[in-house]
Amino acid sequence: MSVRNFGSLAMVATCAGAALGCYLVSLRVASERAQLEDVETKIVLAQRDLRTVQTEIGTRARLSQLERWNAKVLALSAPAADQFLSGSFELARLAQPQRKVEFNAPVVLAAAPAPEAKKAPLGEPETDDAGAPAPVAPRALLHQASLKTGTREVPSEPANISPQKTAGSKSTALPATAAKPAPKKAVDKPGLAAAHPGKLVDKPVLATTGPVTKSVRLAKVDPLAPLPEKHSSKPVLKSSKELRPGR
Amino acid sequence: MNAPSPALVAPRPERLRLVGQRRQILALMHQRLMFGMLVYAGVIAIIALRILWLAAFGDHAGRKEGLTQLIPDRGDIVDRDGEPLARTIDAWTIAVHPTKVIGDKLAIARALARLMPEQSEEQYFAMLRSGKPFFYLRRRASPALVEAVNALGEPGLAIEREPDRLYPQTSLAAHVLGFTDIDSHGAAGVERAFDKYLSDAATRGQPLVLSISSKIQQALEHELGDAKAQFSAIGAAGVVMDVHTGEVLAMTSLPAMNPNAPGEGTPDQMFNRATLGVFELGSTFKPFTLAMAMDSGVVRGPGQIYNCPNVLTVYGHNVHDTHPFGRACSVAEIMMESSNIGMAQIADQLGTTRQKAWLKKMGFLDRVEIELRERGRALTPGSRWGPFETMTIGFGQGIAVAPLQLAMGYATLFDNGVYHPPTILKRGPNNPLPPGRRVFSEETSYKMRSLLRLVVMKGTGKKADAPGYRIGGKTGTAQKLINGHYSQTINITSFAGVFPMDDPRYVIVVMLDEPHATKDTYGFTTAGWNVAPVVSRTVSRIAPMLGVAPDMNREPNMGEVLPFVHETKE
Repeated sequence: MSVRNFGSLAMVATCAGAALGCYLVSLRVASERAQLEDVETKIVLAQRDLRTVQTEIGTRARLSQLERWNAKVLALSAPAADQFLSGSFELARLAQPQRKVEFNAPVVLAAAPAPEAKKAPLGEPETDDAGAPAPVAPRALLHQASLKTGTREVPSEPANISPQKTAGSKSTALPATAAKPAPKKAVDKPGLAAAHPGKLVDKPVLATTGPVTKSVRLAKVDPLAPLPEKHSSKPVLKSSKELRPGR
Repeated sequence: MNAPSPALVAPRPERLRLVGQRRQILALMHQRLMFGMLVYAGVIAIIALRILWLAAFGDHAGRKEGLTQLIPDRGDIVDRDGEPLARTIDAWTIAVHPTKVIGDKLAIARALARLMPEQSEEQYFAMLRSGKPFFYLRRRASPALVEAVNALGEPGLAIEREPDRLYPQTSLAAHVLGFTDIDSHGAAGVERAFDKYLSDAATRGQPLVLSISSKIQQALEHELGDAKAQFSAIGAAGVVMDVHTGEVLAMTSLPAMNPNAPGEGTPDQMFNRATLGVFELGSTFKPFTLAMAMDSGVVRGPGQIYNCPNVLTVYGHNVHDTHPFGRACSVAEIMMESSNIGMAQIADQLGTTRQKAWLKKMGFLDRVEIELRERGRALTPGSRWGPFETMTIGFGQGIAVAPLQLAMGYATLFDNGVYHPPTILKRGPNNPLPPGRRVFSEETSYKMRSLLRLVVMKGTGKKADAPGYRIGGKTGTAQKLINGHYSQTINITSFAGVFPMDDPRYVIVVMLDEPHATKDTYGFTTAGWNVAPVVSRTVSRIAPMLGVAPDMNREPNMGEVLPFVHETKE
């Protein structure tokens, strides 16, 4: 028994082993592939079932059936043209509370309690002063004058009056001082007036809806107040300028 | 061997010959053996190689062919949004093999008659005793019935699954889809026109995408069906079309059929009024006449004046108006009040030759260009086409076209005057938009906008208006030709509309065949009373789906026409 004989046997065994190994690999691959195909088949079957179910649901919920249900039960209709909004602002506007004019409540407030209650703190000392000239008056007059000029502008010269004219109108209201302070105002005012013409125009509109009581009260007081104070008009006018921007 | 003396060694010549022969034979045998071995080895090598090949790349024995991909037996048809309109399903079929029945035939016949009462007990019994090999008992049977039949336990009753065509939306767009015959081949509509695509294994995996939108189709069918019922019309048709691409978004013909059971349909139901039927559609033709006249330079603008007497006598005939003017009237008024007399004069100025050329250019003298096979050919006066016929065609009598053709004409007119052939398939990579053909000039197209809007705002089409959607259009009431005479009472009413008129995008054409007057229409059967409201309702339903936003502040340029309308009449 030579080694050569064993060599050939070993050769055969190696070949057989290699072939077997190859076959095993191939078998493994084949079985993996078979499993994959099973999965694929399951997917296809599932797709077919899905399709069947979809078809059934689609058939049961066909549009003509939905239309019939809508006609019988829901009664929905196509939106009208005014139900479409072009943006978020229009949507927000829908949520805005509706402002309604209630005739009862404001009338009660405007007529009786509001003017009297407010006359007491501001108006009484003035009328007293106007009736009997008192030396303590000037500081109280400053306040009054500022209020007066404000109210005068709003109701008496509404929209068509330019800033220079408003200055002139004050001077006519205070006839004695008209000549001298006029140029000062003309210089000072344009800046202010230019900033506010819009406000002056807008306010009366707002004022009519809102605090009716104020304007009524002040209008009563104003024509009376400046007359006795002709001589001390200069400080009054200055104060009016200071206060106006705040309003 | 080369002995000179044959006497010493004298091999017998036959022996010598034998040696040579043997050698030859041996060589031959060797050759044959070798050849045989090579063949054998070759065969074995081929087998071995084949085995190796199969082991490496081949499929294993248990592979299931064709299940790796779901390919239906016939392709799906879907709408433009992917909603299925036609599908093939596996339906249950119940059949009987009378020769294989082993049970009591009378009992089986009784049980079958109880389960499937469409045939009587006697008929089933006769069937079972006939000795014939096969009968269908029920196709597309319900699962409950299949279960009940299976419970009979009779081996002669065959329960099988067969591919069957199902139309989930039933009669929706029935005339567009058509139906299939018993062998699953298309017999009408898209099923017939695209039979090859739907049945070819290479293409049927991909669904056929139509340009139809099922929601719009439903809206149109429902509104039109309501009107048809309300006015007791014998038929109706409707088309919604995209102006710019020629896509048909909805097309219906009523009465509809159910493609799931095509055999039950009457011929009237099977008839596609939208493409196959041709009708004299009356005044809806007038915008074309006017556009032709404008493009030919006959009419210079909406302010041109014509004499409109109460009756116009021409070529031995009288032309009447439903709203006679009895005075001079502008072109804008002629359109607004749909004056036959005015339009007849315009057509007369245009002349027969030019009218024919225009109609040819618009495609009105040929079959309508669409993929469906059910296409009607327009009817014209033919050889009798004289000056009077030119006038009647001018206001829409004497020429019969399909409603789809009318929609196509309006689409051409309002797509800046460019013609695109209508299509039933969705425009896309598979069905690109072909280059159009210019028919009308852009200016004419623009001028027609305000004229048609005027008809809806102030004229005969007031009831077609849908607030905010700027519909423009034209009503048409044509007398129906019955036994060669125009009936005075029976009409075909139609409305062709375009919206939004300030930038036209969609055309809608609706038609009612023989509508009757009702209390609500005060006895009128004209288009303004019966089809115009259909347009209004349909448009307010479909326009939001089509992306047309309602806008109360937009209109076409009405300043072009309003100055020429005499207002005192109102």
